[in-house]
Amino acid sequence: MNGIHDLGGMHGLGPVVTEANEPVFHEPWEGRAFALFASTFVFAGYTVDEFRHAIEKIPPAHYLESSYYEHWMFAFEEALLKRGFVTREELDARVALLKSGGH
Amino acid sequence: MLLTPDIVPGLVATGASARVAVEVAPSFAVGDAVRVLNHNPQTHTRLPGYLRGKLGTIEKDYGVFAFPDTHAHGLGEKPQHCYSVRFSARELWGPGAPERDTLRVDVFDDYMEPS
Repeated sequence: MNGIHDLGGMHGLGPVVTEANEPVFHEPWEGRAFALFASTFVFAGYTVDEFRHAIEKIPPAHYLESSYYEHWMFAFEEALLKRGFVTREELDARVALLKSGGH
Repeated sequence: MLLTPDIVPGLVATGASARVAVEVAPSFAVGDAVRVLNHNPQTHTRLPGYLRGKLGTIEKDYGVFAFPDTHAHGLGEKPQHCYSVRFSARELWGPGAPERDTLRVDVFDDYMEPS
């Protein structure tokens, strides 16, 4: 797929900025997202290639503006939606609840 | 299948390796000159776009792996060799690139033809 993920050779993106003493995770939710890979990989039974392809399908503008683990979350949602573990309505309802401060 | 503690260390360490334990004949040997195909699937591929049509040299054979282009879509592992392929910077980026710079890229068997 000729998508936005294939950045090799592109100009104008600026230097790669490294962070001194970079933590493994910048936010607690990133650690939880990392852990979700192992659990969803095993019980949903997707391949790492399907996971990567899901990330490639993120709308291009959003892809560039979202973080590494946001990309992972998008791929988990795709895999779980595709297999019927969760519906789009359930996911949207949960996001709406969290946005409004609920748990 | 559920995640159990014994599965976790290997999964975290290898990122779910796609290495496949089957014998498959390689199409290329170390030192062979190759041309990357003009490969533009709308589906998943691990070929970086900037390599299309470029000439390179097989530098190392990593062994046999599941082919991402089929594996991503439930179309089977299609096990094949993956190689480290050397490209000169000038082959990739033209005469303005440094003369002695080279780049090594991991390239699957199906993405190349003999040159």
